Amino acid sequence: MTQNDTRNVDGDDEQRTDGSETAVSEPTTGSDATSDSLLDASLDVEGGTVPADADTVIEARDLDVFYDDVQALEGVDIEIPENGVTALIGPSGCGKSTFLRSINRMNDLIDAARVDGDLRFEGKNVYDDDVDPVALRRKIGMVFQTPNPFPKSIYDNVAFGLEVQDKADDVDETVHRALERAALLEEVEDQLDSSGLDLSGGQQQRLCIARAIAPDPDVLLMDEPASALDPIATSKIEDLIEDLAEEYTVVIVTHNMQQAARISDKTAVFLTGGELVEFDDTDKIFENPEHERVEDYITGKFG
Amino acid sequence: MSDTPIEADLTRSANGRIAKERLYHGLLFCCAALTVFVTVGIVATLAIDALEFFGRVDPYAFFTGTEWVLRSENPILGILPLLSATLVVTVVSALVAIPIGTAAAVYLSEYASDRMRSVLKPALEILAGIPTVVYGFFALVYLTPWLQQIGLGVSLFNLLSASIMVGIMIIPMVSSISEDAMSAVPDSLRQAGYGLGATKFEVSTKIVIPASISGIFSSYILALSRAIGETMIVVVAGGSRARMFDPSQPFANLLNSGQTMTAAMVQAVTTDLSGGTAGYYSMFAIGLTLFAITFSMNLLSNRIAARYREEYQ
Amino acid sequence: MATTDDSAGAWFGSDGQVSQLRGLLFKAGCLGATLLALFLVFVFLVYVAVDAIEPGTADPAWWATVAATVAVPAVALAAYYYRYDPRAGEVAYTAVGLPIAATLLAGGVGIVFRHIVSPHEWLALVVAALVAYGALEVHDRVRRAGAFERAAIGAIVLVVTIVGLPGLVPSLRSLILSLPVLPMAPLSLLGTFVVPVALAVGWYVRRERESERAGLIAGGATVAAAALGAVAGPVAGVSWTTWLILTTVVGVPVGLYVERVLSGGEGVSGLALPVALAAGVVVCAVVVETAGFTGPDVWLDWEFLTNAHNRTPREAGIYPALVGSVMMIIVVALAAFPVGVGAAIYLEEYAPTGGLLGSFVELVEINIANLAGVPSVVYGLLGLALFINAGGLQPGIVIVGGLTVALLILPIVIVSAQEAIRAVPDSQRQAAYGMGATRWQTVRTVVLPRAMPGILTGTILALGRAIGETAPLLMVGVAAVVRISPTSFFGLFSAMPRQLYSWAQLAKPDFYHGVLAAGVLVLLIVLLMMNGTAILLRNKYQRRD
Repeated sequence: MTQNDTRNVDGDDEQRTDGSETAVSEPTTGSDATSDSLLDASLDVEGGTVPADADTVIEARDLDVFYDDVQALEGVDIEIPENGVTALIGPSGCGKSTFLRSINRMNDLIDAARVDGDLRFEGKNVYDDDVDPVALRRKIGMVFQTPNPFPKSIYDNVAFGLEVQDKADDVDETVHRALERAALLEEVEDQLDSSGLDLSGGQQQRLCIARAIAPDPDVLLMDEPASALDPIATSKIEDLIEDLAEEYTVVIVTHNMQQAARISDKTAVFLTGGELVEFDDTDKIFENPEHERVEDYITGKFG
Repeated sequence: MSDTPIEADLTRSANGRIAKERLYHGLLFCCAALTVFVTVGIVATLAIDALEFFGRVDPYAFFTGTEWVLRSENPILGILPLLSATLVVTVVSALVAIPIGTAAAVYLSEYASDRMRSVLKPALEILAGIPTVVYGFFALVYLTPWLQQIGLGVSLFNLLSASIMVGIMIIPMVSSISEDAMSAVPDSLRQAGYGLGATKFEVSTKIVIPASISGIFSSYILALSRAIGETMIVVVAGGSRARMFDPSQPFANLLNSGQTMTAAMVQAVTTDLSGGTAGYYSMFAIGLTLFAITFSMNLLSNRIAARYREEYQ
Repeated sequence: MATTDDSAGAWFGSDGQVSQLRGLLFKAGCLGATLLALFLVFVFLVYVAVDAIEPGTADPAWWATVAATVAVPAVALAAYYYRYDPRAGEVAYTAVGLPIAATLLAGGVGIVFRHIVSPHEWLALVVAALVAYGALEVHDRVRRAGAFERAAIGAIVLVVTIVGLPGLVPSLRSLILSLPVLPMAPLSLLGTFVVPVALAVGWYVRRERESERAGLIAGGATVAAAALGAVAGPVAGVSWTTWLILTTVVGVPVGLYVERVLSGGEGVSGLALPVALAAGVVVCAVVVETAGFTGPDVWLDWEFLTNAHNRTPREAGIYPALVGSVMMIIVVALAAFPVGVGAAIYLEEYAPTGGLLGSFVELVEINIANLAGVPSVVYGLLGLALFINAGGLQPGIVIVGGLTVALLILPIVIVSAQEAIRAVPDSQRQAAYGMGATRWQTVRTVVLPRAMPGILTGTILALGRAIGETAPLLMVGVAAVVRISPTSFFGLFSAMPRQLYSWAQLAKPDFYHGVLAAGVLVLLIVLLMMNGTAILLRNKYQRRD
């Protein structure tokens, strides 16, 4: 706790040139005095032009993550706006997945992982001592790289989140709605009792998406959700992600730059060493990036 | 940030969920801690009653005494005869188990076809599942008469028969742990050998066995510790006369009955259950000695085994 | 080993013969050693079987009949399966082994209902437990309380219904038992034993088949078959209670298995083996009866299984020891399974790897590995000191023996459960945690269901070890001979291996080569069935993964 506080104070000294400053400048957490002046600038991340009406849902401030002595993320600052798709791209080992997993504290499950700095979800630092990671994960859904349905029926898979989160009302309807939202209902409607493992890879991944959105989280994290799928299944998932972005804040890690360009509104580029080099509107990143290193990476000269 | 701060949602509050988690965490921790309690319990109970024993019998006399006569009046309690019998059983059983067990491990890991392995491994497993009292029965009722038939002058109860049976009993232990160690040797090493023109025999003996030697040794130590602690075979087939090992007639010791540490414990408890005599408490002193020996051997074996695991994983 | 030093200068040729021979010898030696160990024990087993059955006492014609009606068809079928249809072979061996294993289990269940809980006692227990559960549900409906309150209420309700408050409130259980009119014993069992089994069967079939109707039929058939015993039992020469137990414990699993093989359509011809064996036995019995051949004078007969120890070898039996072993195993399983699995869950899912607690956990792991190697006789001393000297319990009673052996197998259960839990893929845990499941929810809904077959395999193997343990029983004063079966967990008992040791001490040829051999055979058959079940279970779920 004390460490986090110190970090916070440090952060205040920095200046920020984000276009989103107006949005951030609202009194955020109320109780937390240090967070009042989050609008400072001068980061090594160049601010983009976030529409003034978009609220920030996730905000990292000088976030460091270590695995034992290896630094996986270094001083990451980012503000992820509500709704829309934010893509995290970069070469392998650049820390993009680490960042994704630090949002819903999945890194807690790795004993060696250690986090410094602030990561705010809806204004609250999720690494504060009084935060329960379980409660956090109930507000943030996650979809993984390889489809990982449970060896249960399709229905039970989707209902899993409702069961563990004690949301027992209208399970039937919620399950159907989630499957429909994940564009899977038509294909599985008459086999809800059969095992989720009997589906094809693409269907399994959509099942996992349905499972993630059934308890109605605020944010959906996706860790290379299409990397294990064939092109047709991939394009279905991509369509689905664009759809979901109307309702949810989607943060997606991908190593496929075309995919990022196709589906995301904003893109963050991580480069080697766990450094967030540039974060901006996707069009800007792909057409006219500020940093030469980013341009090299985008054009395939590096990474 | 969005509308109103919703901190409370993330905090540790909700409906006893945390409390429930803590409860389960605590319960499960107790289960794990119970195993430590068992060890502490063994050491404590053995130590307390062993102290009681050493209050009555001089420890020096106990550890250097060459005679063991258990009786209610004036027992003579020197552990060396028991220790020497245990040693004899361990050495002979090792002579049986180590060559056979190692060869079986080499065969299973290097030579056996999948089909052969799928038959032999469960068979060895079933061998390992036979209760020791049954092995003792085999030794007493069948093996001893056989040994007499082939002209060895063994008496009805004898250490030779018991030792051979202990050896057979620990074969599966040697073979399965050694085989695990050999299977853990990466295939790339074998292929390097074949690439240099080595035969399968050379690859087995010069590459696989040396590479897995620490695992193989750890299996030997574990098996020997098992042999030292083996009770029913020696109780049933080895007899109950404590005899000091006589170096001038090494075979006489084998052909006659003898009493190991474990057998002496069983005799002590079955002859005097009421407790209170030095003979009764001697059981705890022997038990403590036995525990110390086997526990340190297991520790050593695990240390060695951990080394080979580090090497290849 | 071809080198180029021979006259032809070729790299190929016969030069490698020496090393080839050496390699061949080495391979043969290794195989020989493996087989030698197995062969030796096999020979011993043959001797035991011969001693227990005494084949020499039978008419040669009797043996010829057995060979012609049972052995030859079985061997022919086995050869056919081996050669042409391995899948059917698997089905055949399972279909033969399953009824045998299930019959042994039925014997165990029969012993439980005969000596441990009478059918009426069982009825009272089940009804009391149901009432307790109902009360909990009602309480849950009325107010949603915290976990602790619910746990507390649950404990209180359970205590009141089953144990009662001594001197104040009689328990529901004793109230039921004191009712003037209780249903007949078989009827109580039908309601409280068969019906739950039928419900489970129905649920299982419904889930497997995804058909409500199939589930209903399966459940209904179970109850109907058991109820039929009221009429069919006396006709078949067994009591209704025996019939009930046989149909539920043997009939249900066999029926389910046969049905699955038939509907799966794979290896159906394997079912011919058990049918041929059964038909062969019937034909053989008829032929022997009509021709008047004398069979062997077996030691291992029904008398042996149902008699107590006797000084006259022919009268001696193993029944009280059998009951004692069953009761002891119940204690061992109840004590070691929850604690062992709990410890394994803690070590795999909860334990931190760093810090002070982390090093404590490391200590626990090393300690468990070492405890598995501590001689069983030392555990006996621990049991003696802990339960008898310190705990004040009587030496030689079921609970003391059971708890002592439970301590002994605890490390084995923990280690095998750890392995099973470790084999659950991490992606499953990640998915659960990602959904906001707590640690316990993840363990309960994702990890345990998947690890359960592995955990059960390890536990069955460990229980097999427990059944054969003798030395700890000697140390806690289990009596050499017990002529009356124990009726409670606080009663004096003997166990099968302990009884064998007593017989081995008698040093009479008739005991050595007759009674003892028969006892060893009984013990080994029980163990073979347990280990076989465990190995089958393991193979089945390993293949699925």
